[in-house]
Amino acid sequence: MAKYFDVSVEDIFNTMEARFRVEGAKGVNAVLAYDISGDGGGKWLVEVRDDSVKVSKTDDLSGFSVKTAADAETFVGVNIGKIDGTQAFMSGKIKIEGDMALVAASAKMFTRYSLPKKSAVTVQGIFDTLLARFQPQNAAGLDIAVGYDITGDGGGQWTAVIKDGKCSLETGLRDNCAVVNIVKAKDYIDLILGKLDPMVAIGAGRLKLKGDMNIAMQLPKIFAKFEPPKEEDEQELIVIKRNISVDMKYSTGPVMGKFFEGLIEKKIFANKCPKCGRMQVPPREVCAECRCWAGDMIEVGPDGTITLIEIIYYSSPDPLTGETRETPYAQVHILLDGIGTEETFWHLLKNEDLADTQNGDRVRPVWNDKRVGSVHDIVHFKKIRD
Amino acid sequence: MARRVAVCAVAQTEFVSNMWHKRFQQMCFETVESIVKQTGVDWNEETGIRNIVTCSDDVFDARTISDNGITDAVGAHFRGEEKTAQDGINAIAYAMACIMSGHDDVALVVGHTKESQAESRNMCVNLAFDPFYCRDLGLDFEKGAALQARAYALKSGISETQLAKAVVNARRNAAKNPLANARELVTVEQVMNSPMLCDPIRALHAYPVSDGAVAMLLAAEDKYKEYTDKPVWLTGWSNCMDSYFFGDRDLASNFSLKKAAAAACKMAGVSDAKGAFDVVEINDAYAYQLAMWAEGIGLCDENKGGEWIESGILETGKINPSGGMLAGNPIMIGGLARAAEAVIQLRGEAGERQVAGAKRAVAQGTTGPAGQHQAVMILEN
Repeated sequence: MAKYFDVSVEDIFNTMEARFRVEGAKGVNAVLAYDISGDGGGKWLVEVRDDSVKVSKTDDLSGFSVKTAADAETFVGVNIGKIDGTQAFMSGKIKIEGDMALVAASAKMFTRYSLPKKSAVTVQGIFDTLLARFQPQNAAGLDIAVGYDITGDGGGQWTAVIKDGKCSLETGLRDNCAVVNIVKAKDYIDLILGKLDPMVAIGAGRLKLKGDMNIAMQLPKIFAKFEPPKEEDEQELIVIKRNISVDMKYSTGPVMGKFFEGLIEKKIFANKCPKCGRMQVPPREVCAECRCWAGDMIEVGPDGTITLIEIIYYSSPDPLTGETRETPYAQVHILLDGIGTEETFWHLLKNEDLADTQNGDRVRPVWNDKRVGSVHDIVHFKKIRD
Repeated sequence: MARRVAVCAVAQTEFVSNMWHKRFQQMCFETVESIVKQTGVDWNEETGIRNIVTCSDDVFDARTISDNGITDAVGAHFRGEEKTAQDGINAIAYAMACIMSGHDDVALVVGHTKESQAESRNMCVNLAFDPFYCRDLGLDFEKGAALQARAYALKSGISETQLAKAVVNARRNAAKNPLANARELVTVEQVMNSPMLCDPIRALHAYPVSDGAVAMLLAAEDKYKEYTDKPVWLTGWSNCMDSYFFGDRDLASNFSLKKAAAAACKMAGVSDAKGAFDVVEINDAYAYQLAMWAEGIGLCDENKGGEWIESGILETGKINPSGGMLAGNPIMIGGLARAAEAVIQLRGEAGERQVAGAKRAVAQGTTGPAGQHQAVMILEN
């Protein structure tokens, strides 16, 4: 089974029922479908019915409320927090079909998948404690060498020399060992921890004993049981979430205020510097270049010419409503008629015009029916096509 | 010895509780316009203003890097602009350092705050506290001040009457300051009967919600003559921080203010603050602070702030002739406004509230809960 970040796609789904949070799924009645491509992928249905969940592997994803499609690596990465889900979604690595809100909600329905803890026990660690575990009363009269040939990653060779009720440990294998244990490092650790039965291991050929079997059978008495070091629980780090919110009232003043008043009347006002003649829209009190009061108001536009188009493919939440915009959308710089040659106005372009609009095109504002003196009094600018 | 630095001009807006008809950019610009008019300073990048030091608060302005939003209004386009943290009195010190070092010959200081923009200034300053502990417990500067006021009262024995007299003095002086916010006279009884906000701070013990801006032009000793014939010299300065976490502090100790005052006095060659200043401007956001900060600066003995208030010194008009912060300057520029009044007094331009023959003044600024940051500036003519 292909693994990504040490986790397979199966791992994620197999633990999903155990990770279900009843309190996070209150009132949810939905079928979440997953179409995971690539090595280790497959199709799964997760049926959430208020306080219960059923996860099944399937070939038929029909009837879903929302379907998430991703490659196996991305899917695993997002689930274990190695890959940023929003980024993966924006870059198209995750595709979502159906009720998108359920995807966000699913974060509350399941606790995050966490990696099973890796054993802290090593072969070296086992041999480090060997002498301490030696039981002289059970080794009386013995004069032998016991060899250990632990193969593979993390392995090594050791010889325990037992004589006169004493034990010493050497690295390497002596030629005169009474018995040699030959076993892979991983299996040896499992044997020592009691996870692998010695008889099963011998039967399967995973543990080979070369030499005197009787001595081999005495070994569990000669050396006391290995006690693995206690694993420290990983600390759950608390993150405090708060919303910072202070209501503000922004004065617009006599210059910018006039601009907003104008919008109500479908008029766009710029201010003009009495010294250099430069105009600014939206207007501000001061000509930053001449450092003088620039309160003369001149009506400009409303038509203008596009000087710059920028297309946005991701959508951040609208600060006022929290809603996300439809993407892609375009922001445009517009040189309003009568403004001069430089100071552009900035607004949005009508989405339907996105495909065939370019610098130099003529545009006109589309006014909101209900105008209150805000930037939204203009819905967007649209391309003039006559 | 580094070059001496002169204040050549100051400009302030009127301080009001709701400057609803102006953006804060306009408030700033009006002060800058006044400085240009007073001094004839220009924006020549060789000889004029090429560095502007500002002070503003991001939360009160409700935009991050709040100085970016005022660069046009403070004349900073196409030249240096640096925003200082803490009270605007630090901006003066920063500009002073620019000149003393030789980096600049002239520097403009502009500070502003529009407290009225927020639904509640206490909600804004609640954000000054850490989000893990103090913020959740609802601390703001007013409640922090109340803790300090209580600690100071326990230590010094200052009385309700003495606290009320601090407010009476503020209003009496502010009545002669056309730019002050709270100018209505009050009596001791009115103060003592005003509603309790957070014991022992009463409504009239607290500075009013205020909007305003202050600007100041500084020049090197070899350049000031181009801008003024009444220079005011910055002769002493220091600032000091106390701990952030309240639990670590002895709130009644005046620790940071004593350190700042001692260092500023040393720089100015003042051996004893008592009697050393003709004009004193104390950043008293709350009534108890007039007494407590006076002790910290060294104007009276420890624990004698209350008696100092009743010693007759307030009747001389030398203590907070502007009305002090109690008469209404916004947070962040309370100290800057104190220094501005000191300059006006030392230039002999304070009109009805002029302290006769003023030669040396001290201005204090403070930022953060219960005077965490303290700054002391000494000015002479």
